Amino acid sequence: MQRTTSRIQAVLGIGLLFCLFLSGVMGCEKDDICVDGDTPLLVIKFYDIQAPETSKAVSSLRVIGLGQTGPVDTFADQSDLDSIALPLRPEQEETTFILILDSDEEEGVETGNADTLRFSYNTQGAFISRACGFVANYDDLNSRLEPDTLNWIQNVEVINSTVQTQDTTHVSIFH
Amino acid sequence: MLLQALTGSGQDVVRDTTKKSDIYGLRVGIDLSRPLLTLLNEDYQGLEIVGDYRISEHLYLAAELGNESRRVEEVLDNADGINRITLYDIESAGSYLKLGVDYNTYTNWYGMNNSILIGARYAFSTFKNTLDNYRYFDSNRYWSPNEFVAGSELVGEYTGLNASWLELLAGVKAELFANFYLGGSIRLNVLITNKDSGAFNNIWIPGFNRKNDNSGIGWGFNYTLSYLLPIYRKARKKPSDPPQ
Repeated sequence: MQRTTSRIQAVLGIGLLFCLFLSGVMGCEKDDICVDGDTPLLVIKFYDIQAPETSKAVSSLRVIGLGQTGPVDTFADQSDLDSIALPLRPEQEETTFILILDSDEEEGVETGNADTLRFSYNTQGAFISRACGFVANYDDLNSRLEPDTLNWIQNVEVINSTVQTQDTTHVSIFH
Repeated sequence: MLLQALTGSGQDVVRDTTKKSDIYGLRVGIDLSRPLLTLLNEDYQGLEIVGDYRISEHLYLAAELGNESRRVEEVLDNADGINRITLYDIESAGSYLKLGVDYNTYTNWYGMNNSILIGARYAFSTFKNTLDNYRYFDSNRYWSPNEFVAGSELVGEYTGLNASWLELLAGVKAELFANFYLGGSIRLNVLITNKDSGAFNNIWIPGFNRKNDNSGIGWGFNYTLSYLLPIYRKARKKPSDPPQ
């Protein structure tokens, strides 16, 4: 009789343990929040064409992605900046931006000097973590400035053709 | 149902307690939790065969052989108005073998054969990962206001992956009725080697279970029904026996 009792206790004990740990498995899965990484932006710095070592802010800069209606959301529109970061399109082989110097509007018409700059690259997915999954990295970065009658951008140099972080400058623009 | 089996067993089993000897043999069984989880969870399939062979009063050689697959779909939801987005969908499938020993810390009355175990295993798993789809995590919403952009260049099957680890386990085995045992164990896993595809990390390993980002520590369990094939009986050594 005592044997049977202890056996029942053992079996119940095992069952209880099992339920406890099964609920542990089910309960502990979706607790992840992505804090480990992000798809990097393209970092651009502006320099003086007369003194290439000296950074030079662009007055009232506005940047619009080709095909978009609004300006990019990574910096305050129409501000004076010597450094900006732009989002590339991971699903495309190139992304085109319209960079406008002295941007202003008169009756809804842009009066600033607009230059069109095209960036081409290869997108490569990079695994970051369980919570974040994959981000896009870019390599073989190239730039092409569309010539127009009055380019305010004099020269564009790709400093770093691999875009994996935002800690470094990828492109220098001289004006 | 279990209780019926239990109460029935108390009367049927006739044990020879006068000889004061223990049954030695090979115990084989299956894990009950994996088929159950296969039924309950459409993203999981698994089967595990277990076995142990008694080599001394307290020591058993033990092994588990299994096959498991699991689909891990990481979903981002309700983050600042972004809709439910699948970040990636990875299926991991493969087989594993675990070899080691169990030590029974429980001293049975003569004629009984229950166990409270601690044990250790060396485990090895070979598997493949299939990346079905993924999206680039990108907190900038300028080009794609409502969703993350889907990637394609990494989609595919990655074979030839493997991992090895050590398991420390605690468990019990209780004799349900003659020669049938119900058992369970909890296992702490410590990863030793881990070969991934290069494209992404192993986030779930057959036999090992979930693999966390920054640690090689995992855990697992099983819940087994097994049958003892008795091979021979052996008298117990009693430390209190007078010298002859």
